[in-house]
Amino acid sequence: MTDPQFPMTQTELGAEEPIAIPVAESGPRQKLPPGKWLRRNLFNNWYNSLLTIVIGALLLFVAVRAFSFVFITGRWEPVRANLTLFQIGTFPRDEEWRVVAQVLIWTAALGLGVGAAVAGAKFRALQAGVEYVTDPALDRLKRYWALVLLLLVWLFFADTIGPLLLTVASLALAWGGYAAASRVSGPNVGLLWSVVGVLGVLGFQIVSGFFGLGWLWMGLPIAVAVYALLGRPDTDDVKRQRRIQLIGVLVTFAVLFGVYTAVDSVGVEWDDWEGLQLNLLAAAIAIALSFPLGLLLALARRSSFPALRVMATTYIEIIRGVPLISLLLMAQFFIGFFLNTDTPLSLFTRAIAAMTLFTAAYVAEIVRGGLQAVPKGQMEAGNSIGLPAWKVTQLIVLPQALRAVIPAMVGQFISLFKDTSLLLIIGKLELLGVREIVHGQPDFRGFGIAESLVYVAFVFWAISFTMSRESQRLERKLGVGER
Amino acid sequence: MTDNVQGNGAEVFSDATQVAGTGEVMIELTAVDKFFGDFQALANINMRVGKQEVVVVIGPSGSGKSTMIRCINRLEEHDAGRIVVDGTELSDDIRNIQEVRRETGMVFQQFNLFPHLTVMDNITLGPRQVRNLPKKEAEDLAMDLLTKVKIPEQARKFPGQLSGGQQQRVAIARSLAMNPKVMLFDEPTSALDPEMIKEVLDTMKELAESGMTMIVVTHEMGFAREVADRVVFMADGEIVEVGTPQHFFESPTEDRTKLFLSQIL
Repeated sequence: MTDPQFPMTQTELGAEEPIAIPVAESGPRQKLPPGKWLRRNLFNNWYNSLLTIVIGALLLFVAVRAFSFVFITGRWEPVRANLTLFQIGTFPRDEEWRVVAQVLIWTAALGLGVGAAVAGAKFRALQAGVEYVTDPALDRLKRYWALVLLLLVWLFFADTIGPLLLTVASLALAWGGYAAASRVSGPNVGLLWSVVGVLGVLGFQIVSGFFGLGWLWMGLPIAVAVYALLGRPDTDDVKRQRRIQLIGVLVTFAVLFGVYTAVDSVGVEWDDWEGLQLNLLAAAIAIALSFPLGLLLALARRSSFPALRVMATTYIEIIRGVPLISLLLMAQFFIGFFLNTDTPLSLFTRAIAAMTLFTAAYVAEIVRGGLQAVPKGQMEAGNSIGLPAWKVTQLIVLPQALRAVIPAMVGQFISLFKDTSLLLIIGKLELLGVREIVHGQPDFRGFGIAESLVYVAFVFWAISFTMSRESQRLERKLGVGER
Repeated sequence: MTDNVQGNGAEVFSDATQVAGTGEVMIELTAVDKFFGDFQALANINMRVGKQEVVVVIGPSGSGKSTMIRCINRLEEHDAGRIVVDGTELSDDIRNIQEVRRETGMVFQQFNLFPHLTVMDNITLGPRQVRNLPKKEAEDLAMDLLTKVKIPEQARKFPGQLSGGQQQRVAIARSLAMNPKVMLFDEPTSALDPEMIKEVLDTMKELAESGMTMIVVTHEMGFAREVADRVVFMADGEIVEVGTPQHFFESPTEDRTKLFLSQIL
């Protein structure tokens, strides 16, 4: 009762017992010695002490059991022996080099992308006249501790030197890309993003092949670069410059079309993509497609054209009332009735379509929330400087709306990533599906079942957790300069 | 009451449609009505504003002052009557609306700067997107305007980093960047801390002296007295009395004007 931490005023006011209001918390929080911290926070009265002991015992029990499960009793042989199967399923083994190339290209792209973001931030900071502060390298590594842990688990399970070499090589590429990109000067950051885009498409096509509409996807990032390169900020004749830029873009696409038609090399069928690779790719593609679709739906739902509004609303409300599994099953069994194609679409394509259509409805509702949060005055200000309605939406409303909904959007995408495990139901061999195969092997029948489940859950968790943390960081960063 | 108002109507009409300035008519409102549901926000508004004229609109809140100037650049749609700005009549034709909006700058009570863009980008957005000005030229123009409103050093900051008075001056610069023929001010100092009101009013005063045609809705009587060519008093959606500042503040004729002035002065 006479604890010096609690001033006399408490008892003077007639409080029977000092309530734990932190009094001396103004100023920087002082660090207490562990003994004192314990006494103050965990054992400051009899019922807190009791609670601490009970919960402490429980935690200790769980920790001991978890430790013994992971390191002593756990039988990880099914996972260890089938690591490749978990990663790529029954992907043709003589085409494995494609996956290796993909990992290398994408890690390089990732490094360049992060570097480009940093270079952009540096440039903006320079222009705004503020100092750009980088997080210490250790902090940056800490942010990805879940992924690092996942990588360590893989390396621990691997029994050949291959995975270690791949890890080292891709880390080196990522780091090299980052180091190079972060030194790029401000005005060239846009071009850097185009390079990232090209590598992204290249990584995909190194597996899927260079044929068909591939030129269109590869053309997008290149066309953006060409458009920017042909632009001169100080030109007098804006119209003429626009024409030149347009011609440049068309030439780009024409050349790529020619190249792809000449090469015409088919890679590995989409339906042969399996394992974790399938989960990641399906999620990435569905995210990339459902975002623009959801955006359009949200805009249509707020449109002043009744027909658009009714269509968008109907679509959104129907899709949101249907379970994803039922959509996936529909995609498996009767999407072919609606689409008259000569060759049936791959199951992979149909599954992506179902997941995209499903997620787009949710994205639309999230975006609509963001649109509603933008004050009406913003639109009025845009109108009053003479911007046409679509430019007000594109340049003023959407940037603010999307910024406001990043956390909800990433949450939706995390849920989409986890939902790729439902591909199991339509007979796709994704991460969870591989597990079934593993336990169908004579060597691993009936044991290590919990272990392989824990492994699969851990993989999903490590990736989802990292996405979630990154979204929080992005949200904090974009908050800078807001009013 | 109704008779009384109508009786004054003729007088007001002749008064509110006489213009000062150069004598050329820039803005003309004829028998404008505006409803919000059943509520009549504007009733038979007749007014002309001459080129280079500064008209200050005052009146109690809810009197329709803001609604009137918001109708002039079609942020609100009027329900009856005609509004003509520099020879272009506001109709449902989107081209006419865009035309009028390009010629009219608007400054809002809440500034309404774009928080995701720097001060520079806030100002260059209109010139680059609407007038297709090259980036370099637009930025030179923006720097000139920022110098004019005395905050060139803030160009690369975001609106959230500026004080209210600075934000409102950026908003004025943003409107001026479109090289408008008319500037509309909708209570530009009402959201400002007292010590920042002066810097904004000074900017507006300089603008008036440069010959800009302006309609200013405000509660700043000192500004009205000093800068206005004419003062328009509105109440209950009607124009009640119009006159020079001298007439208006020293010998108002209408009872509602007298009551209003006795309450605020």
